[in-house]
Amino acid sequence: MAASSLQARFACSRAAFAAPGSARQSSSRTFCAPIAAYSAPALQCRLQKTVAAGSYAGLRKAGVLDAQEKHASLAQQVSNAAPRASSRRSAGVTMSASGEPKKILMMGGTRFIGLYLARLLVKAGHEVTLFTRGKTAVTSQLPGESDADYKEYESKVKHIKGDRSDPELVKSLLEGKGFEVVYDINGREASDAEPILDAIPELDQYIFCSSAGVYLKSDLMPHFESDAGDPKSRHKGKLDTESLLEKRGVKWTSVRPVYIYGPLNYNPVEEWFFQRLKAGRPIPVPGSGMQITQLGHVKDLAEAFVAVLGNPKAIGQVYNISGAKYVTFDGIARACAKAGGFPEPEIVHFNAKDFDFGKKKPFPLRDQHFFTSIEKAEADLGWTPKFDLVGGLKDSYDLDFGRGTQRKEADFSTDDMILEKVGKKKH
Amino acid sequence: MANGSACRSLSAVGSFIGQTESYTCQANRRSSLAFAFHSKNLQAVSSGRYSEANAATLLPSLNSSFNGISSIALHATQRPCTPASQARQRGGAVTASASRKVLLVNTHAGGHAVIGFWLAKQLQEDGHKVTFFIAGDESSDKNKKEPFTKLEELRSAGVKVVWGSPAKVGGAVEGSFDTVIDNNGKDLESVQPVAEWALSNGASQFLFVSSAGIYKNTEEPPHVEGDPVKADAGHVQVEKYLNEAGFSSGAAFFRPQYITGKYNNKDCEEWFFDRIARDRAVPIPGSGMQITNITPVTDLAAILAAAVNQPEKAAGQVFNLVGDRGVTFDGLVRLAAKAAGKDPKEVKIVHYDPKKADVDVKKAFPFRNVHFYAEPRAAKKLLGVTPQAQLLDVLTARYQDYVASGRNKKDLKDKLALDDKILKSVK
Repeated sequence: MAASSLQARFACSRAAFAAPGSARQSSSRTFCAPIAAYSAPALQCRLQKTVAAGSYAGLRKAGVLDAQEKHASLAQQVSNAAPRASSRRSAGVTMSASGEPKKILMMGGTRFIGLYLARLLVKAGHEVTLFTRGKTAVTSQLPGESDADYKEYESKVKHIKGDRSDPELVKSLLEGKGFEVVYDINGREASDAEPILDAIPELDQYIFCSSAGVYLKSDLMPHFESDAGDPKSRHKGKLDTESLLEKRGVKWTSVRPVYIYGPLNYNPVEEWFFQRLKAGRPIPVPGSGMQITQLGHVKDLAEAFVAVLGNPKAIGQVYNISGAKYVTFDGIARACAKAGGFPEPEIVHFNAKDFDFGKKKPFPLRDQHFFTSIEKAEADLGWTPKFDLVGGLKDSYDLDFGRGTQRKEADFSTDDMILEKVGKKKH
Repeated sequence: MANGSACRSLSAVGSFIGQTESYTCQANRRSSLAFAFHSKNLQAVSSGRYSEANAATLLPSLNSSFNGISSIALHATQRPCTPASQARQRGGAVTASASRKVLLVNTHAGGHAVIGFWLAKQLQEDGHKVTFFIAGDESSDKNKKEPFTKLEELRSAGVKVVWGSPAKVGGAVEGSFDTVIDNNGKDLESVQPVAEWALSNGASQFLFVSSAGIYKNTEEPPHVEGDPVKADAGHVQVEKYLNEAGFSSGAAFFRPQYITGKYNNKDCEEWFFDRIARDRAVPIPGSGMQITNITPVTDLAAILAAAVNQPEKAAGQVFNLVGDRGVTFDGLVRLAAKAAGKDPKEVKIVHYDPKKADVDVKKAFPFRNVHFYAEPRAAKKLLGVTPQAQLLDVLTARYQDYVASGRNKKDLKDKLALDDKILKSVK
């Protein structure tokens, strides 16, 4: 029944970025940097001095905060060219906050997020061991990865073969190995984490890949980390895991991505749109197409995962990690078209209630507003997404779908049902 | 609530699922630990970070209290609002030497009028010396409408109140001012004389209340400072001009959207109250998923006051003058229902297509029929201001005002004619 009433009393103090001792330079850089998230290609390059007639976009007089702002063009940002004092980066490599190499165990690491994260960690000098069943090759060269980089990674990353659904096996494989940090990328239920905690009682940090899917649907948006979770969500196991980590007194950090996209995505997010664009088909979008969601590039997510490592601010914290801007369903269709160089697509709205699609999904995204604020991560971690939507989708297209690779065969059966009903020509 | 005095004690109603949030700092309300759980036990969780004087406490977030767990969370996490915390929010207590002479040129009517009222009060309470300059005549009928019927509240706080023409500010006021705020003009013609006089009079800082309406429509919400604006908009011309005018502590621009709160001059939520109070169906155009910002005016005043208190941080910056949650149209109906003490499930929402109903949606509905959705990222990052007010609380107070004024009993016959036409069209 009703929980006891709680008195909320609040002490205010200055914002964290003004707190003494914090990495002021990095913080203020992050805070002062405007969010470079234009989707229109013409606006990709946000240079401070651009105050041309008709292009005024709230740019301010040069001066006061210029030193801290970096209006790098998207291309620059993507290529990671400029080392930034703020982010402990050198030549595109991110060190952990503590700077010391760690012995890291990664649950997963061979499918999507972990592919990028493990590389960043190895490059940063950590010893990384991937724990997988071995169904997928432990390492394979990423599209766009140089032979030299791949060889380096392949030679350094380690592997433990095992099925994590066997708690006794997990314990026996992990006990006494000296792991200091765990990245749990593929855990689903609290029971998945338990044997790891049992096996490695003195962990520096347990970093968990949770999901923004835990949030309870709300009329007031965006979702902040403090918002209510949904006990009926199919991601309940993620909430349970976060609970468990807290209960066990572990030094933990949880990351909640929204929709992840990028090269080698095995979820049909961008691939679903690219398939239709390539086939010259209309894009069926449920409802009004005004549903707002959020896509986050996997490489930005990997950077965020690195940014929490050894970061004292991150202990016991949850972070939403995704793109800087949100996007409507219709907007995703158009952004994918721009990214892949396709003509503007025809979008066909449909009412899902008018159909029986059986087990098939007519659209890859949940039919509701679903997006989060990432400001906590930006404030605490000195992290900010580098990819804007079209730029990120282009990265995915150029390195994956555009090269002819995809995870799932295109299935237009639900599309055809929709098109027939709305009276469009069948393809 | 308008004065934001007491902290609230919260009770979780029914069996609820919520997140606890430990607060260590108002400004980082969501940066501190927030943790989800789904049992009936509230877990006390310490943040482990950032302890200022008063340590962590816990707050549940409330779901709809009507039938235990609702499927939609109507209530965002409660945020305490002590005057002390608010004062610190605004950039610190003001010492005598930091006290500024502020001239606030205020519009005599319209949605923005109420901003100036609360800002004047706030600034005076912060220790500044405020002259509230109403752009109009002392004898005008416009003074018979709130907030101009409440000027005694300003005077008793120490604010000087004068009327006059903005083109001839100098004639109506005495002495010099450090900060001049224009919450009146919409174009160069109306603002330039004020700015020129301010410069010649020795003002170092100029704040302009602009409009978020100047942002170009986007498929990647929210509107963020720096996003493209409509170049031909009057406000944009003003911002450009002021940016280059040469104020030694800079000019800053504030872009509000829809405003609610005590002494509002223009209707906002009353459109919803009119229908809910009379147990009428509420016609909502389109899907009802359009997101907009309805912000309690005290939060807006806090942002502006913070800019006055931190001129170096505000110089040359654009600030979206909004709260940090958007609300859907349907969500607003539900909130208004709760504010009126009704069960949101009992209030009927009727979605309609304005074209099919043959109505001008601008006349039929009070808000723009698009996503009109911004976030106060610059205010949060640069000024360290976090919105305090809870929309539901403010709407509840506003409904009390609505009833006290007798508006719930007023005959609205012709106002509801469009509603009837719409409701007929969807049958």
